[in-house]
Amino acid sequence: MRAPRTLSSVAAGALLLTACSGGESVDTGGGGGGGGENVLVAAVSAQPDQLDPHVTSAYPSFQVLENVYDTLVVPNAEDLTMEPSLATGWETSEDGLTWTFTLRDDVTFHDGSEFDAADVVYSYNRIIDEQLNNAYRFATVESVEAVDPQTVEIRVTQPTPNLPALIGGFKGMAILPEGAADQVDLTTEAIGTGPFQLESSDAGSTVLTAYEDYWGGAPTVDGVEFRYITEPAAALTALQNGEVDWTDNIPPQQVSALESEEGVELQSIPSVDYWYMTMNYDRPPFDNRDVRRAVATAVDRAAVTEAARFEAAQPNQTAIPEDNFYASDYAPFDTNQDAARQLLEQSGVPLPIEMGLMVTDEFPETVTAAQVIASQLEPIGINVNVETLDFATWLDREAQGDFDAFMLGWLGNIDPFDYYHAQHITDGSSNYQGYSNPEVDRLLNEAATETDEDARRDLYNQAVQLIVDDVSYLYLYNPNVVQAWTPGLTGYQIRPDKAINFETVELP
Amino acid sequence: MGGYLLRRVGQAAVVLVGVSVVVFGLLQLVPGDPIRLALGTRFSQETYDALLERSGLDQPVLQQYVTWAGNALTGDLGVSFRSGEPVTQLVLERLPATLTLAFASILVALLIAVPLGTLSALRPRSVVDRGATVLSQFGISVPDFWMAIVLILIFAGTLGWLPSGGYVPLTEDPLGWLQRLILPAIVTGVVSGSVITRFVRSSVLEVLGQDHVRTAQAKGMATRQVLGWHVLRNALLPLVTVTGVQLAYLLSGVVVVEIVFAWPGLGQLALQSVQARDYPVLQGAVLLFALVFLVINLVVDLLYSVIDPRIARR
Repeated sequence: MRAPRTLSSVAAGALLLTACSGGESVDTGGGGGGGGENVLVAAVSAQPDQLDPHVTSAYPSFQVLENVYDTLVVPNAEDLTMEPSLATGWETSEDGLTWTFTLRDDVTFHDGSEFDAADVVYSYNRIIDEQLNNAYRFATVESVEAVDPQTVEIRVTQPTPNLPALIGGFKGMAILPEGAADQVDLTTEAIGTGPFQLESSDAGSTVLTAYEDYWGGAPTVDGVEFRYITEPAAALTALQNGEVDWTDNIPPQQVSALESEEGVELQSIPSVDYWYMTMNYDRPPFDNRDVRRAVATAVDRAAVTEAARFEAAQPNQTAIPEDNFYASDYAPFDTNQDAARQLLEQSGVPLPIEMGLMVTDEFPETVTAAQVIASQLEPIGINVNVETLDFATWLDREAQGDFDAFMLGWLGNIDPFDYYHAQHITDGSSNYQGYSNPEVDRLLNEAATETDEDARRDLYNQAVQLIVDDVSYLYLYNPNVVQAWTPGLTGYQIRPDKAINFETVELP
Repeated sequence: MGGYLLRRVGQAAVVLVGVSVVVFGLLQLVPGDPIRLALGTRFSQETYDALLERSGLDQPVLQQYVTWAGNALTGDLGVSFRSGEPVTQLVLERLPATLTLAFASILVALLIAVPLGTLSALRPRSVVDRGATVLSQFGISVPDFWMAIVLILIFAGTLGWLPSGGYVPLTEDPLGWLQRLILPAIVTGVVSGSVITRFVRSSVLEVLGQDHVRTAQAKGMATRQVLGWHVLRNALLPLVTVTGVQLAYLLSGVVVVEIVFAWPGLGQLALQSVQARDYPVLQGAVLLFALVFLVINLVVDLLYSVIDPRIARR
């Protein structure tokens, strides 16, 4: 959770809330492919909480906004390296402190106005000046200026090699037309440059129509309708009987059976999310490195993964999935209860140890995983009390440091900075466990400003070895993205960052 | 009658103020920080402080309440933390779906309960009575989410007769409206109907044992007439009461059924606002539910005097 595009945020996310405009239809068109003839119907699990890209933090909102707005740069669909979008290219000055983005000159907003550098300056300054959700992404940004209508210059206070990922990682950094917030209510209306225009959004569904003047070429379908079907069994039924064409709300236990089923096309690929457990450094005996290492040695990641996600995940001892450029193959722990007992003995801590493991029903996989972890730690003398909380309470206790241990995930990571920095640097904004290692701090700070990719990877790999050895996080697994659609639907690409883009999709 | 109504409305106002105070107070005690929930998990302290200030949550509780109550008097229930939309609009947007489902469910419930309860009472301990007892126990104890999913799998999945869920307004697509209404109305109707069946049975049984019924029978009045004129009419009072309670319950949103059938009603909204600690929306929804209960109670009381004129004379 923790990621901009996640449910996480969510709290919101997983829930739906409201929408706009007057009381309207949900229309789950009974029998045929719903909506009009050439409208794609997607079943998503929740309603967008609101549609202002700079304000919302909910994944259901970004599922919609991905198709409506653009950013200067975007992650490539395969490996998530940053590519041109509204910017055709960019250059960095010798000292790494000035970034110059060249903009496309053939882009119009949905209201017909032309896109230029002033819109970029307005959008970024709106986030910075009003301290909106993603202001943290501009932490090193000193100024954003329009050099001419086709050129934007961003000055930073220190080299920021991940700037493209920061401003293009997701549609929370969308470009709005200058003055948009004063002209329309962005919580319910949208003026983007993306392939689809927002037609309506209410408690039942969100409807988009194709934007014929889209700079990338008009989309193949006439529109997209997002219907909110929270219950996975109902969403799957709707897909199977043709009410909807696409869904990402699939009962996890049915994923492997569906892979071989004819009436449904299902894909499951590794995501950029990771799930982990961590222990409180301020609460004995978890401040004891041997105790933490004993836990890391006793936990069988494969069994936890299987219980939490069935087949659709890969166990991992570090955060970054294995096919990523920045992945580390460091995996020092072999599940071994005798070795774990030895470590506990060495720690000198009297047994049994009582450990409260805080999880949340907002993410049911944490509850299942915690039960498996509890059963694996009990034989070595650690009695785990699984505390299942609602997410709001969970977050409160995390923020107050009121826990022995907890399990959660970080979703939507693009750059290694997202995976490691704020979680492990001393007093980092996401370092709730209270980890502090000067060597890790040095490596993370150096990596954050290192512009050579290979050197940067080496720095992160050194840092992650210390993080894993100290068990700042006990990494568990990288889940898959699982999505299914109606057979014969083409032109859709499932992405590791769970961005959902229907620009080039074609209905059967 | 006018004085009676006025008195009741006055009482209702006091109850509503009481409810709003209690809800406001309770929200202060519940753990969970709406600002953190709205921001997600990656944010800076400056962003947190800015949103806290915009939300007004940095003000003293008493002042928050006074501001809220003052606005509420003018019909302004505030703005949702999460969506930035006016609470009044959010609630009104979901009202049609909730009303539709509630009244359809009560209809299903009565269609089940009145015949079944009456038959059971007329033939106590018969096969019909025992069957009705088993069925109503079943209806009360089967979890509604389970029944909902089973119905979806059968009627939307295997048979493909009905859509799996959703809602369209009657004015837009009458057939689609009806198709989507059937399954959720059956699930909630069966649950309510099971409760009401028990009441109908005991109430009819009680009236059957009364002197005036025996007199009517002794006079040689036809059974059908006795039943219609003397029994059912007298058995109506408790039925109206329990139906009113069931209706009020249905109007405050049937959360689980709404979620399974993707039905955009008030129950979903209330649940989401609890999970997101969206205080203004929760406050607005609870106030509306309280209002619904008060209005229905009033209507039920007024109905009493219609059904049994002796009550009005008292």
